[in-house]
Parts: sequence; C-alpha cells; structure tokens
Amino acid sequence: MTSARPSAALQPPADTRRIGRIRSETISTAAIFALAIILILASRFVSPALGSWDQVDTIITLASFLIVVAFGQGLVILVGGLDLSIASMITLGGVLATTWNSSFGSEWVVIPAVLILCACIGALNAVGVIWLSIPPFIMTMAMGIIVASAALGYTSGTPRGASPEAFLALMKGSVGPVSAVLIFVVIFALLARALQSATAFGRRLYAVGANREAARIAGVATWRPIMAAYAISAVCAGFAGMMLVGYANGATLRMGDSYLLPSIASVVIGGSSILGGRGSFAATVGGAILLTTLGTVISALGMDQGWRTVIEGAIIVGALLLLREDLIARLRNRSAG
Amino acid sequence: MSANLDVAAANAPGSNLGIAIRRGLTDGAGVVAILYIILFALYALWDPSALTVSGVTNLSNNAAPLAIAAAGESLVVISKGFDLSVAGIVSLSNVLMATYPVEGPGGALVSLMICLGVGGAIGALNGLLVAVLRLQSIAATLGTMIMGQGLALVIMDAPGGTIADWVSYTLTDVLFGIIPISGLIMLAVVALWLVFRRTDTCMGIFAVGADETAASLSGISVVRARFTAFVGAGLLYGLAGFMLSVQTATGNPSAGTPFLMLAFAAVALGGVSLTGGRGSLVGAVIGAATLMLLQKVLFSGGVSSFYTGIFQGAVMVLAIVFGSVISRLASTGARA
Amino acid sequence: MTTLRKLLTTTCVAAGALASAFTIGMGSASADEPKKFKIFLSLSYSGNAWQSEAANIVKALAQTPPYDQMVELKEVISGTDPQGQIAAYESMIDAKADGVISFPISSTALNRTVKNGCEKGVLFFMYDATVTEPCAYNVSYITAGFGENTAQALVNALDGKGKIFLSRGVPGNSVDKRHTDGAMHIFKKYPGIQVVAEYYSFWDDRTTQQETAKALAAHPDVDGIWAQAGEFGAIQALRDKGTRLVPMTGENSNGFRLALADPEAQKNGLKGVSAGSPPATAGYAFKLMMEILTKKRDLKAMNIQYPLPWVPADKVTLCKGDTFEDGCNAFPDGKVPSSFVTEVFSPEFLPELSLKSALDGAPTPGKTIQPLPAEVVKAPNEPGINCQKCDPPADLYKLTKIEPTVKP
Repeated sequence: MTSARPSAALQPPADTRRIGRIRSETISTAAIFALAIILILASRFVSPALGSWDQVDTIITLASFLIVVAFGQGLVILVGGLDLSIASMITLGGVLATTWNSSFGSEWVVIPAVLILCACIGALNAVGVIWLSIPPFIMTMAMGIIVASAALGYTSGTPRGASPEAFLALMKGSVGPVSAVLIFVVIFALLARALQSATAFGRRLYAVGANREAARIAGVATWRPIMAAYAISAVCAGFAGMMLVGYANGATLRMGDSYLLPSIASVVIGGSSILGGRGSFAATVGGAILLTTLGTVISALGMDQGWRTVIEGAIIVGALLLLREDLIARLRNRSAG
Repeated sequence: MSANLDVAAANAPGSNLGIAIRRGLTDGAGVVAILYIILFALYALWDPSALTVSGVTNLSNNAAPLAIAAAGESLVVISKGFDLSVAGIVSLSNVLMATYPVEGPGGALVSLMICLGVGGAIGALNGLLVAVLRLQSIAATLGTMIMGQGLALVIMDAPGGTIADWVSYTLTDVLFGIIPISGLIMLAVVALWLVFRRTDTCMGIFAVGADETAASLSGISVVRARFTAFVGAGLLYGLAGFMLSVQTATGNPSAGTPFLMLAFAAVALGGVSLTGGRGSLVGAVIGAATLMLLQKVLFSGGVSSFYTGIFQGAVMVLAIVFGSVISRLASTGARA
Repeated sequence: MTTLRKLLTTTCVAAGALASAFTIGMGSASADEPKKFKIFLSLSYSGNAWQSEAANIVKALAQTPPYDQMVELKEVISGTDPQGQIAAYESMIDAKADGVISFPISSTALNRTVKNGCEKGVLFFMYDATVTEPCAYNVSYITAGFGENTAQALVNALDGKGKIFLSRGVPGNSVDKRHTDGAMHIFKKYPGIQVVAEYYSFWDDRTTQQETAKALAAHPDVDGIWAQAGEFGAIQALRDKGTRLVPMTGENSNGFRLALADPEAQKNGLKGVSAGSPPATAGYAFKLMMEILTKKRDLKAMNIQYPLPWVPADKVTLCKGDTFEDGCNAFPDGKVPSSFVTEVFSPEFLPELSLKSALDGAPTPGKTIQPLPAEVVKAPNEPGINCQKCDPPADLYKLTKIEPTVKP
C-alpha cells in the first residue's frame, strides 16, 4: 500500500486539468449531438418521411437563427452577464435592414451601418452594467423594451421595404446540392468557436467570467472584454434579424421574441454555466440543434398541444439528466483509464 | 481612529435610529420602498383618486399576484438559482381553480390547498432536480415550466371556467371598510418571511447563495437549503396563482406567462442580488408593487402610445441608479 | 444627523427632478376649448401588422372632421399581461373617459373592470376580440364563421379527400379555438379528409413559414392547407421546397391575395379563398361608438357581427389607387409589404379611409365622417366568446358563404 517510491512523493502531481477539460468538452458536445441524432432517428416512428436528410436540412435552416443569436448570448453569459435585449435587437436589425434598404440605396452600405448601430446599442448595455453597476438583467431588459418601443414608433407599426438581396441569397440559395445556409452555419460555427476558445480575446472572456477580481489583478482591463461581449451579442442578434428577413422576405416588429428564451436555453443546455466562466460554443450549437430538433419532432406528434408541451418539457429535463456534469465526468474518467 | 468615531457615533443621540435607517437603505428593500413612495406621490399628484379606498384597493389587488410570485422567486435567487417554473405553476393553479370551483369560504380554503399543493409538488420536483441531481437551475426549471404550462393547457384549452363567487368577490374586497384583503395577504407573506428570516434554514439559504463551498464546509446542508428554497418558492407561486384567479375571476392556460420576466424584474428592482446571497423578500414584494404602480403613474402622467415602453425602460434603469446612489450615500454616511 | 439631512435632501431633489421631467412631458390643457369626448384606444398586443393597422384606422378617423374637433384620443398599449390591461382600464375609468375602444387581451379577465366602468357611464367597445361581459359592445367577425366556411371551401377544392395541414393561431386562445372547432366540424364530415399535421403559427407569417416547413419535412405529400393568419408564410414554405403549391384557405394578407391571383401560382396548384379578420372592424366600432356618444344613434349594449370578407381566387382584383374602389381588394406588389392585412377598407362603412390611414394613422384630406348604415347585425350567442351564461344556437356552424359541392 504505502510502497510509494520516494521520488514519486517529491514530484508535483502532473497537471492533467487542461487535457481533462478538453476531453469533457468534447464528450459533452458529442453527447448533445448524439441526443439530437437519436431524436431525429426516433422521429421516424412518428412519420416515415422523417429521419431523412430533408428533415436535417430543414432543422439546420431553422436552427441557423438560433445558432447565431446563441453565440452572442453565450459570450455575454460567459462574462457573467445576461442579454435580454436580443429579441428587440433581432427586430431592430431586420426592420432597419428592410426600411433603410428601400430608402438609402446600396445594401452594402445599409447592412454594415445597421450592424454598427447594433454594436453601439450593445456597448450602451455594457456601459450601464460596468459603470452604473446596473444588474445585466435590468439593463438589457430595459434596453430591449426601449428599442422595441422605438421601433414601433419609428415604423408606425408596419415595417416597409424588402429584404436585402444578400440575405435572400443566403437563406434561399444553394451551392450545388447543399443549401447556402448549411454552409454558412458550418463556417460560422467554426469561426465563432475559434474566437471563443482559441484566441487571446476568448481567454480573457473566460478569465473575466470566472473571477473578475482575479482577472483585474492579473492585468486584464476587464471592461474591454465585457463591452466587446455585449457589442458582439447585439451584432449577432441584428444579423440574425437580417437572416430572418431574408428567410421570410419581410420584417415584423415581434420577430425576435421567440428567440430570447431559446437562446439562453441553448447556451445552458450546452453546458455553459449561467454564472459565467465556463462553456463552449460547440456545445451551444449542439444545444441549439437539439432544441430545434425537439421542436420539429414535437410538432409532428399527432396529439393535443397540451400533451405535446408536457412531452417537450419532459424531454428537456431528460436531456439535462443525461448531459449531467457528473455523468460526463464519469465517462471521461472511464475513458482516461 | 475609526474606533473612536464608532464609539462617538454610538453615543450620539438618535444614533440607533440613524443606524437602523442606514441599514435599511443599504438593504435593497429600503431603497425600493423610497422609490415606491416617490412614484405613489407622483401618482397621487396627477390622479387624486389614487388616495381613495377603491384606488388603493385596485392597486393592491393588481399587485398581489406578482408580489407573491416575486417573493417566491426571491427565495430561489437568494440561494443562487433561477426559477423559471413560476410561469407554469401560476398557470396551473389558475386553471385548476377555474375548472374546479368550490363555493364559500370553506371552498376557498380547499382551492387554496389545491394551489399550494400543486406549487409545492412542482417546487419539490425542482428541488430534486437542482439540489439533489445537481442540474443547472435555469435549465431544469425551464423544463418544469414547460411541463407545467403543458399541463395547464391539457386541463383547459381556452380561457374560461368559473371562479367561485366568494373567492372573487370577498377576497378583492376590503376589511373594516379600508384595508384591502389582498393587501393583508401580502402582509401575511411578509410577516412569514420576517419569522422565517431568523431560522437556521433561512440562514442556510443565504449562506449557500453567498458561497456554497464555505457553507458546506461550515456544516450547512446545501441540498436541504436549496430544496427548501425551491419548495418555498413553489408554495408561493401557488398562492400567487390563487390571487391571480381572485383578481381576474377567470381561468386562462397562459395566465402565468407574463409572470416570468416580471418576477425577475421585480426581484432585481427590489435589491435582491441575482448572483445570490444578498437581498430580502420584502424588497422583491415592493419591487413588484413598484412595477405595477409604474404603469399607472405613466398613464396619469399623460404618457401614451409607444412612449410608455420607452419611459418604462428608462424608469427601470433610473430606479436602479437612484437606488445605488442612495445606498452609497448611506454607507459613506456611516463613515462620516 | 447631517447624513440624514443629506439623504433627505437628495431624495427630495430626485423626486422633484422626476416630477418636473414628467410635467414637462405633459401638455397643459387650455381652459377655453369646447368639451371634447375623452376616448381611449386600449391595445394589448402591439407590433404586428393587424394590430397596428386597426389602431391606425381609429387614429385616422379620430382626426377626420368633424371628429378632429370633438375627440381627444389617447392610445394606451398595455402588453400581453391581462393585469396590465385591467390596470389600464381602471386608470381610464378614473380619468373619466367617455368611451374606451379596445382590443381586449382576455375574453373573461377584464369583465369585472368593464362592469365597473359601465356603471360609471363609460362606453366600452371591443373590436375583433370580445369579452363576455354583457354591458360591453362587441364588434367582431368571430361569429361569422371563418373556420367552417373556409374549411368547406378547402373541401370543395380537394373534392372531399386529401391530406391537409391545420395552421392554427395561439394555443389557449378562444378565437383560435372557435375557428378550429368550426373547421373541424366540417372536416369531420368527410372521411376522405385527413389532418396529418396541426401546428400553432401564432398568427405570424414567419412562424407559419417555419412550422409549415417542419410539417412538410414530415409530410411532403400534403394536398391542402387550412390556415389562420400568417397564411402567406405557408406559401413561402412551399416555395422554399420547390414549385408545387396546393389549394389553401387563409386570411387576408396582401401576399396571399396576390399569390391567389398570380397565374404562375395557379398553374402550380394554388387555389382557394381569402377570408379572415378585417382590421376595418376597429373603424366600424369607433364610428358606432361616436354615433352613440353624439346621440345620433341609440343602441344598447349588444354583440354586433361584422361581415366576413370572402375573396375567392378568381375575385382578387388589384387596386389602382389608395382605396378600395370598383370592387378591388388587394394592392400591387411593392406598394405594401406581403404581411399587410388588406381588409382595412369598407366602402360601405368606412369611406373616409385611404391607404395612408392604415399605414400611418393619417386622415384622408378632404374627407369627412359619413354616417353608418342604420342597421346593425346582431351576433349569435357564443359562450365563452361573447356571453357568459348562454347557449349557442343549434346551427352554430352553419355555412353562410359557400355551399358544399361534395357530399360527405
């Protein structure tokens, strides 16, 4: 038992934390995607046409908006905040892109202008959170209400104009047999994940989120990553709004509302901590796809809406139970030998 | 140096009151109470009917459901969690009351028991998922909220049903001609809190919310603290659904949906820290009352159309800034 | 003590600042104007085309002579929380409103407050959505049989058999339930008609598009679609998948009507009927209320039925100008968005309106308020929709717009 070699006692224990963290991120991401695939295959029992590539294509198209929004939301959650203004920012991005598109000529001027405006509003959220010490919940919620009301007043209730051509092409077009959206989602997911997990900027976000005081002492100007996170969240939301406009060829004033709770849910189901400092975008994408798949399968069930909703909630709880931290850790330990 | 000042301050006449006021102001509840008083003063200024018995009764009836729901939410938030199931439990209690109305005061008691039972059961489920099985509270309660809303839709697929007359007439009425009964019920919840505040279990909830590791190392059962918080919250949501049925006198499967965002806003406005460990249920109750009062203040101030939203957002932000200014003044005042 | 004084001063200053900020925002009423009618426009939902157009119509009418001198109209948006609208109604009653014209968020939750207001002499007019409180006037098309008539039209177009989608509204809503119950009453008569997918589109184009896309993934061989508002989204979903379109019935978005009339779409299989909820109901309700207030009409509280629009594909006609004239009922592509709800006009009831009224709430220059036809159509009793303790008529789902061409 205590036949430890003397030299072993003197050596510091090997730091396997980083390796462990990557492994558990990969496992939980894989687990989420596996759950989504199981759901898709299981839906074949509901209807023979399901469980097909067509369904997967539909799901990814419908999930694309959520994936973009969940990235921004995930960054804000990562630094310990919450962005409740994304619903209104989605609406703002879509409404301005259509209204200004008709009035101000080239969409290549209008689109960046709108996105910059969104970034400024996101930065305003950050100003309130950082310097006025307003809790992110209230600051972003208030901003959301203000932006939505302003949009209502600005358009008198009927947003006019047509979608920018670029987004029509993105949402309706295809490159060969593959829809353009699919390619976009893959590229976006890879770039976003790289930004969050593989750059110095991303590391600063994790540091600030995990322990803001420690990050400050370590020399990180904590307001910069936080402001960047809120600005990126607003830009992502605005961009998603434009995508929605391309999909439906028009904007409406409430189009962002149904993405708020799912954006938070995707991030959290993907394993990120709501309190910040932990998470991975790959898993968030998995969460977004899982939620969209679940919605698709549920609506194909031929039963009353009440029971459909109960089942949806039960599956979410079930998925959470399966994706539990300690289960993942046990899997990881077993795989580590 | 500071010791001398403390002694001097402690011996100054009226210092106990000063200390109490200062503590009240640095506690979120005191600040939001001042905000409420200011808003109410404005409301009374622009609409004199605010000061009548029926005006106050309307305010009280309107605020009671959200205030009690926010009270429940604050319990979970103090324990460093998020409870989204408020929407599901309120909807469920409301449709149960409207589908199975029972007449008379005894019937009201039965209905109340049903609401509390449903709320407590779902709260216990939340407690199981979060405290025992260690799921993230925001995700687990999202699931239970959706299940609760689904059950409400199963029980009642469109608004309707009837609420017993005794419930909807007597409980929206006044006692002794001036005290709204809904106000008494809110006070009862606050009174229960002030008693509960002194118990070890409540201390445990605060400790777990402030620093879970330290709390567990000091021997506090984290599981029990969290579980109690969720069950307590569930019971309060059930009561909130009961009070909602009292006020609207009808059943609606989506009755709870507006409560989700509003409950958190009330909690945050009331000075309860969303990162856990700090705050008071009283603050959440007053925060809820403030949110409901705000609509009336804006109306009587002549704000209309889409400007209402802009003002609502602005006031929310200003309220928090105002609160932290007062808080900071009070705490620097203590050192003066 | 100094601290306390400091705190009290700060509080008073802050309160004073808030108060002055608000008072500056308020206008001061001039003392010597003739007494105007105080009318409140109470909205619950906001931010969708239907709601905005209906509200704009009321605003335009309130600014049309002679009402522009007689009416002080204030719009209050309370959101989707019934308690918000309850509080708004209470405030309006306290403000001694003469009339409240409103889209109620709940058919039952507002009753007590409405009753309280009626007792204090306030007129309550509800448009499109209804309340079951007897002292309120309900002006709505709900009882005119949208669900059953469009269902029969779809059955006729499908010759009595086929797989169909049901695109509904908001779950747990009484209007959605009434429409769907009426439609199912008809569909159940035909064993050849199979509802293979039923989804909730929340009366929104985009949600309809997304939900229809999901349903198409499961049932690509659908034969027809019965839709509530948002129907153009279903067409977009079909177009996303290919060129094939199917017979469809829906409400009255401009995009849907243009598609119905489009020869290309017809070649691809689109036929059907555009019916649905007219925002013009709000204007009709407002004018009725004003006629009662100005004593030009004596009408006790009742449920009034607004006629159901009915535009089959071959009757879609593009308007050349800015109003409905010469029987036109849709606008050219690009003039209005595809989600624009077209039934904002009624040459019979609302000749004072033009397109700008619906889009911007602006009055039409040169027009004055015209009297309404003397007759109002009483709506049948529908429990849960417009009355509380009442029985529906035996022929609740009778067909008024169309005859079955197929035997069940």
